[in-house]
Amino acid sequence: MSNLGDLQSLASSITAVTSPFRNYLNDLYAKYRSVNEGAVADYIPELALAKPEWFGICVVTRDGQVFEVGDCDKLFTIQSISKAFVFGLALEDHGREYVNSKVSVEPTGEAFNSIVLDEATNRPYNPMVNAGAIATTDLIKGKNGTERLKRVLEMFKRFTGRDHDINLPVFLSEKATGYRNRAMAYLMLNFGMVSDKIDETLDLYFQQCSILVNAKDLAMLSATLANGGVNPVTKERAIAEQYVQDVISVMLTCGMYDASGEWCYRVGMPAKSGVGGGITAVVPGKLGIGTFSPPLDAKGNSIRGIKVCEDLSRDFGLHLFNVAKPERDLPAWIAGGDGINDW
Amino acid sequence: MPKVISIHSYRGGTGKSNFAANLSTTVAALGNRVGVVDTDVPSPGIHNLFCLEPEQIGTTLNNYLWGESSIEDAAYDVSANVGIDGTGKLFLVPSSVKADDIAKILKDGYDVRLMNDGFRNLVKGLQLDYLFIDTHPGLSKDTFLSIAISHILILILRPDKQDYQGTAVTVDVARQLKVRRMLLAINKAHSKLNLDALKQKVEETYNETVAGVFPLSEEVVQLASEGVFCVKYPEHPVSQEFRKVAQQIIEG
Repeated sequence: MSNLGDLQSLASSITAVTSPFRNYLNDLYAKYRSVNEGAVADYIPELALAKPEWFGICVVTRDGQVFEVGDCDKLFTIQSISKAFVFGLALEDHGREYVNSKVSVEPTGEAFNSIVLDEATNRPYNPMVNAGAIATTDLIKGKNGTERLKRVLEMFKRFTGRDHDINLPVFLSEKATGYRNRAMAYLMLNFGMVSDKIDETLDLYFQQCSILVNAKDLAMLSATLANGGVNPVTKERAIAEQYVQDVISVMLTCGMYDASGEWCYRVGMPAKSGVGGGITAVVPGKLGIGTFSPPLDAKGNSIRGIKVCEDLSRDFGLHLFNVAKPERDLPAWIAGGDGINDW
Repeated sequence: MPKVISIHSYRGGTGKSNFAANLSTTVAALGNRVGVVDTDVPSPGIHNLFCLEPEQIGTTLNNYLWGESSIEDAAYDVSANVGIDGTGKLFLVPSSVKADDIAKILKDGYDVRLMNDGFRNLVKGLQLDYLFIDTHPGLSKDTFLSIAISHILILILRPDKQDYQGTAVTVDVARQLKVRRMLLAINKAHSKLNLDALKQKVEETYNETVAGVFPLSEEVVQLASEGVFCVKYPEHPVSQEFRKVAQQIIEG
């Protein structure tokens, strides 16, 4: 029986390579690799080292099939993408009501680093802007900074199925220059919205942003959400099922910085981007997408990543609110066979 | 829609390269744009049949797999070498016959995804109607890939116990890889065998179609891979059998 299992697993890895769906992704890669717009983030020197030509697309389906094209193993820092998942951990630690009392879920329309709190409740607007993310990170349980970081890293491991490291130079740079984030934290402390262990929480916040991931990890993160919180490959539960919808809905309304409304309208996939060049996008019940390409648009979203998600959404009808018959049938393109002309 | 045809056998010496050269030439002679890729990187040889000498070969499949060139740059127009004119075209992507190059690719391996993407780029770049893949015998990651990517897999076997057993294994693997269409070809059949009975028995054993039965031919051996047999002897029964197989590929 073990032989049959090996044959099946080798056969499935090969058919993932020859599947029309991977060929489609490959064509997307070829179509957008020459796009020369945007700029690599350079507010700290470590991010400016990223090469504009790096480009990877990975899709992981709900049943654990992995399709990779381009630079899917290249590591980069997760940055703001961490916010969505730390929000999930905070919900598990404290429950929905308590977390909502500390952070609202209202889109701001302001830039991600704006210093603005809800005037009536003093809450930061949502867990995806820096202020809200710091307040969310503050909620992560643990008796000291080390234990809290360990819990965050273990959570990411449950999602992606592998161990993660911190990029130390990025962490130290963010920490050394993060005056604005420090100011926000103190403003929130003033209003009693965060605890007084400010330095520990800010360290944890800068560390969570400096976690190293690749495009495949980003696809696994969203595929795990798409699969109800269970990693589709390892079958391990990464987040309590009841909080999956919390994370996904905040990604839909706030995940793409102040371009979230436009994104929701055009692409319609709950997603989160980071200034490292990553985007993770969820198609609930179907698949997760991870893209990596460092050049960003003015709002801080990866330009090639946006284009890839737009095409996938349109061609396979993956917009959340799509009711029209898509041009391409996703299960058929994944399975391959005679009906598909991918040549 | 272009068609990809893999020519494979479980054991070596069944006549894969000869078969691939004759069949691809026959299909090209009918006015089609045809490509042949020699993926037998450990022991390449099909370039001999197309009269492409090592000194005429610069860029090879190896260079493409090492990221040094596009796959189109490794394609050689061999139409004239096999007497094809008119609308038909025949291109060959050879593997390197340099010992160093073979050693390097055996030592480092290569990314099967790159091979898959190369096949597609070649078909698009040269606007091919048919792509033939000549493979290394046996089962490996790269033969799995060429089986999985094919629209038609042709398995060659000789009437020999070793081939029978190996073909059964390959048929299982091909089904696991959800191959779209499989054809068997019996090669080097002894003249004293009843070819019709042989064909029927093989079809029953594997539950797959036998596309052609090729008797052991003194003339094929005499040509000794210096050229494509069906070009030199178009009216020979072997050449006629190739036309029969070509018809099944074009129509199917």
